[in-house]
Amino acid sequence: MKRPGRVRVLALSALAALLGAAAAPATVRVQGSTTVNPVVVEAAAALTRETGIRILVDTAGGSSGGIAALADGRAEVAMSSRPVSADDRKRYPRTRFEPVAIGVDALALVVSRDLWEGGVRSLDREAAAALYEGRVSNWRQLGGPDRRVVFFNKEPGRGTWEVFAGWLYGDAAAAPLVSLPEVGSNEEARSKVASTPGAITQLSAAWADGQRVFALALRGAGGAPISPDAEAVAAGRYPLARRLWLITDGPARGEAARLLEFVLGPRGQELVRRHGYLPLAAGGAREAP
Amino acid sequence: MRGRRDPLLWWSGAATLLAAGFGLSMLALFAVESLPVWRQEGLGFLAGSRWFYRGGEFGALPMIYGTVAAAAVALAVAAPLGLGAALFTAEVLPASWRMAVKLPVELLAGVPSVVYGLLGLLLLRDWVYRLLRPFDPLSGDTLLTAGLLLAVMILPTVMTLADDALRGVPASQRRAARGLGLTGAEAAWGVSLPRALPGLAAALLLGLGRALGETIAVFLVVGRQDNQLPERLLSLAPLARPGQTLTSKLGGAETFIAWGDPLHWGAICGLGLVLLALVVGLTLWSGRLLEARAGRA
Repeated sequence: MKRPGRVRVLALSALAALLGAAAAPATVRVQGSTTVNPVVVEAAAALTRETGIRILVDTAGGSSGGIAALADGRAEVAMSSRPVSADDRKRYPRTRFEPVAIGVDALALVVSRDLWEGGVRSLDREAAAALYEGRVSNWRQLGGPDRRVVFFNKEPGRGTWEVFAGWLYGDAAAAPLVSLPEVGSNEEARSKVASTPGAITQLSAAWADGQRVFALALRGAGGAPISPDAEAVAAGRYPLARRLWLITDGPARGEAARLLEFVLGPRGQELVRRHGYLPLAAGGAREAP
Repeated sequence: MRGRRDPLLWWSGAATLLAAGFGLSMLALFAVESLPVWRQEGLGFLAGSRWFYRGGEFGALPMIYGTVAAAAVALAVAAPLGLGAALFTAEVLPASWRMAVKLPVELLAGVPSVVYGLLGLLLLRDWVYRLLRPFDPLSGDTLLTAGLLLAVMILPTVMTLADDALRGVPASQRRAARGLGLTGAEAAWGVSLPRALPGLAAALLLGLGRALGETIAVFLVVGRQDNQLPERLLSLAPLARPGQTLTSKLGGAETFIAWGDPLHWGAICGLGLVLLALVVGLTLWSGRLLEARAGRA
């Protein structure tokens, strides 16, 4: 007699747990850019602590992965380090993308220590394109040390890559087809460049720690090299600045709206600053790509 | 014999149907989803050497090559180690010591593959980079690195199954061999090994299957460079270069980007289908070998 009783209790409590889960506040699923990720993760942790909202944050597929997940209904909020493109809107005609800028980030070209110490401190656009297309295969050709060029390409289609390709070729779609070793997340990019002599990659400047990987200054048409520091980015002088976005399908509602509110509020903006990005007030409102 | 109305019969029958259904519908799903790419590329999808999704070109051969090359390295390293260790545990070690050796090896099987990947990223990449210095490698991300990492990962599979196969040879036959005056080593070579051969082959094939399907660990150390089909297929030089495997491509950002574009998505599903076919083929083959063993024992 005892056994069935216990089984029944178990079954009932399992059922109760299921019902409880259904009645609890809905989960907000956030997916996309590894650049935006640390800010949202901390904002989500604070919100969950204070309000009990469940927020799941995932970086599978980067910005484009997040946008696809949003359009597909697998996420309520997409994180993106590139704006929603005309191509996105064409591909997902039924999704009403509502991008909200939450901060500004500089995209840096970072190199390994041996290059930095070997005198590679800045690049112009032509040199960057030559490196990307493999027309320059040794750093000596650019006045650096005698070392083969190892270009770790951010996976094409990710936000960082699109901004980089847009800068070089006007439009990411016009970028030539190349096959380079690829890196995905910011952590992976940083660790691989740090451990490979002669390496360069495209990486959010906030992740260039100046100890293992080093952000190059970019030389514009004027010729003066401009480092991706907060001042140059805020003034709009650094060419590879970009806004960071949270995107919803239609205006944000419910728990998703509270997440956006938090990130745009003073505490969220403080998180943006603490992770090395520029808060909106310090230049986010200006016209960045 | 149980009656037709016995619930056990119905339940087990339904379970079998469902299990088989899952497998078949998965194959069917990948086949249907990949139709657009077969329609555009035909068999060129398998034989084509160019993959540029932004240019609408989808040729999977470099990835098939990468998968096979990394798995071959893994097997070349894991086979002698695994079979050797199994021979020792099954034929030489006293039974009471056997577990003391097998346990740590089997622990390796329980380590999550992302942990292997991170170890590969932290240690193996640098080690391979230094090892390959004389050949001036670009970085530590190479097919060789991926293969070596896979070798460690499939070692427990190979060793445990090979050990089981050897232990499956009846002790009476060993005793008979010893009774005829053969030494322990001669009995192992002359009796145990030949009798266990199908089981040993199955151990290798199952290890190979795991190597083909492993994703995240390979993803982190293989370099993920597309279109790396070597000019000479049997040359060893491409192993020192970065490459792309079917799984590292499927685990990358393209899978997410492809969603929504029928052709690109079809190509990604086509890669999944090829991988599935490879692994299913190997599994069936090793299953037949194991059956052959069971039939002879």
